[in-house]
Amino acid sequence: MADTNAIIRTEALQKVYSNGKSAVRTHALRGVDLSIPRGGFSCIVGPSGHGKSTLLQLIGGLDRPTSGNVYIDDINIATLNRNKIAEVRASKIGFVFQFFNLLPNLTALENLQTAMMLGGVKAKEQRSKAMELLELVGLSDKASFLPNQLSGGQQQRVSIARALSNDPEILLMDEPTGNLDSESEKDVLEHIFAIHKRGKTVVIVTHNDTLAARAEHLFVIKDGVLAKNP
Amino acid sequence: MNILKLVARNLLRRKGRFMFTLLGITIGMAAFVALLAIGGNMRNEVTAQTYALGGGFVIVPDDLCVYNQIGIITGEAISERLAYGEYEAIAAIDGITVIPHLTRRMMIYNPTAGENQAVPVTGQLPAETQAFYGWEMSEGRYFESQDEEAVIIGQSIKNRFKVEVGDKLPIKSGIELEVIGVLKVTDGNDDAMVHMPISVAQRVFDREDSLSYMTARVDDMRKFDDYQEQMLNAANNIKIATNEQMLGSVLMILGSVEFTLQMVAGVALVAAAFGIINTMMTAVYERRREIGIMQALGSKSRTIFATFVLESGLYGLFGGALGVCVGYVSSLVIAPMVAEHSETMLKGMELGAKVDVQLVVTTIAFSLIISVLSGLYPAWKASKLTPVEAISNG
Ligand SMILES: Nc1ncnc2c1ncn2[C@@H]1O[C@H](COP(=O)(O)OP(=O)(O)O)[C@@H](O)[C@H]1O
Ligand SMILES: [Mg+2]
Repeated sequence: MADTNAIIRTEALQKVYSNGKSAVRTHALRGVDLSIPRGGFSCIVGPSGHGKSTLLQLIGGLDRPTSGNVYIDDINIATLNRNKIAEVRASKIGFVFQFFNLLPNLTALENLQTAMMLGGVKAKEQRSKAMELLELVGLSDKASFLPNQLSGGQQQRVSIARALSNDPEILLMDEPTGNLDSESEKDVLEHIFAIHKRGKTVVIVTHNDTLAARAEHLFVIKDGVLAKNP
Repeated sequence: MNILKLVARNLLRRKGRFMFTLLGITIGMAAFVALLAIGGNMRNEVTAQTYALGGGFVIVPDDLCVYNQIGIITGEAISERLAYGEYEAIAAIDGITVIPHLTRRMMIYNPTAGENQAVPVTGQLPAETQAFYGWEMSEGRYFESQDEEAVIIGQSIKNRFKVEVGDKLPIKSGIELEVIGVLKVTDGNDDAMVHMPISVAQRVFDREDSLSYMTARVDDMRKFDDYQEQMLNAANNIKIATNEQMLGSVLMILGSVEFTLQMVAGVALVAAAFGIINTMMTAVYERRREIGIMQALGSKSRTIFATFVLESGLYGLFGGALGVCVGYVSSLVIAPMVAEHSETMLKGMELGAKVDVQLVVTTIAFSLIISVLSGLYPAWKASKLTPVEAISNG
């Protein structure tokens, strides 16, 4: 099922967690073949604990599959070394997590600047670019705030802006609204839709029905396998 | 944002922990610097004072041990176990110039310290001694006769005890002698002594016909072995030590003292290094999640490694620089205490730490190396974390 238009592709992807000393092994993914179109708005849904986050982490190169392949732009990241994977992450992928994951001792602006530094943006150019992105998520007035001085919704908007820092093609989001009240949720969703319109490939793991309803491509993960591939 | 700024931000996050870790390495390096500074100055001082003895060698009782020889260099009192006759016998040998010394201690009131302090007092043959050392006066006058009942003092006695020409000094209970002059600086222990004619000293201290040791030189040092034999034949119970031999033994003792002190400084440094390791390990543990975030943002392992090594290295840089300052200041405070403490061998010495650029640079570099080494293991641990380990448990 080689799809030439796919920016992300997985082949027979398996992940088995074996927890330290205990012989308990969790078969989180049992062979997932997935193809995510370039520029699309894709959602991954499914019951809790069935492997959604695991799938997203493998796609983003945050973890290695037990077996199978992950292609990003036809590069098999499952065979790359740590440093090469880091380069792919820095240049092609932006992450947004449920728990925001901002660096707590850095201001909103500095969180963006740090991501830019890691993506190789020159120190001089960081500030104006970062301010532009904060503007985009409506937080230019909060640039010098620390994460704990921001509301959950604001933190998630900073985190979305940060994910855009190195202008990646792909945005991977794991329950971006899972930890927000409904007001903030609406706000964050607006920004996510806006970003998709700017031409990014967006992949979101979500329990949110509004969000899932807007998906151009919907994937259901159940018991570690793809239940439905529209 | 750049790596250094990021590291500085991380370094200062836990102010208390930063301070205590920094204090550890600062104290370690300060001990190191203070000991080296004082040790180096002791060496210079002892060497200078030995050469200021003027002669080529000293003649001491044959059972005088090395520790007591130090007393000759530092101006300590040495028991008067040589007979005056031995001096006369040696003085009679052709080609040898010899000076007898009788050394004792006396107490002088130090107005700055508010207490009586012991200083060496020495009896010498006025005319011969002045000729031997080439002494000049900075104030007052020199002895006019071989048995004038008066004293002259060294420059540092005048400064330390605020003694002036015309003052009377209590040599021993019931006996006071007038200060008639102050010597020009000699750079030797004579600066820290009270001088009087040996005949007066023998009478005052009830040691008629005795002396403590002699300093001497020969006209031709190449014939020293020859002279040595003549001296040993002429006098009984004497031992001859050249200044080089004496200096050698003293420096050896000093060396072992220094070595012990350096071991202490070494232990302080090892403790400081473990302090850094501990702090960095804690930081790595606390920031597991942030390390994962950095990796998710595209940070390579070596960037993570570098940030932690840099953070650790900064402790060494700051600790080294602070340690140098604290070390020098404390050596300035300690040196006079060492010099004035009446039981130490360096009594009367004018010790003061001199700032040595090479020592400063070496110390900071050393501190940096220790701290970077201390950071390697924690940094390696940090760089080995995988992003998922760090992030997944929300
Ligand atoms: N790091 C891990 N170590 C061990 N087991 C894990 C780990 N991460 C996830 N799992 C297990 O793998 C399964 C799938 O987890 P996950 O992908 O987080 O599910 P979802 O995101 O769909 O809720 C679960 O049973 C979970 O307990
Ligand atoms: Mg999940």
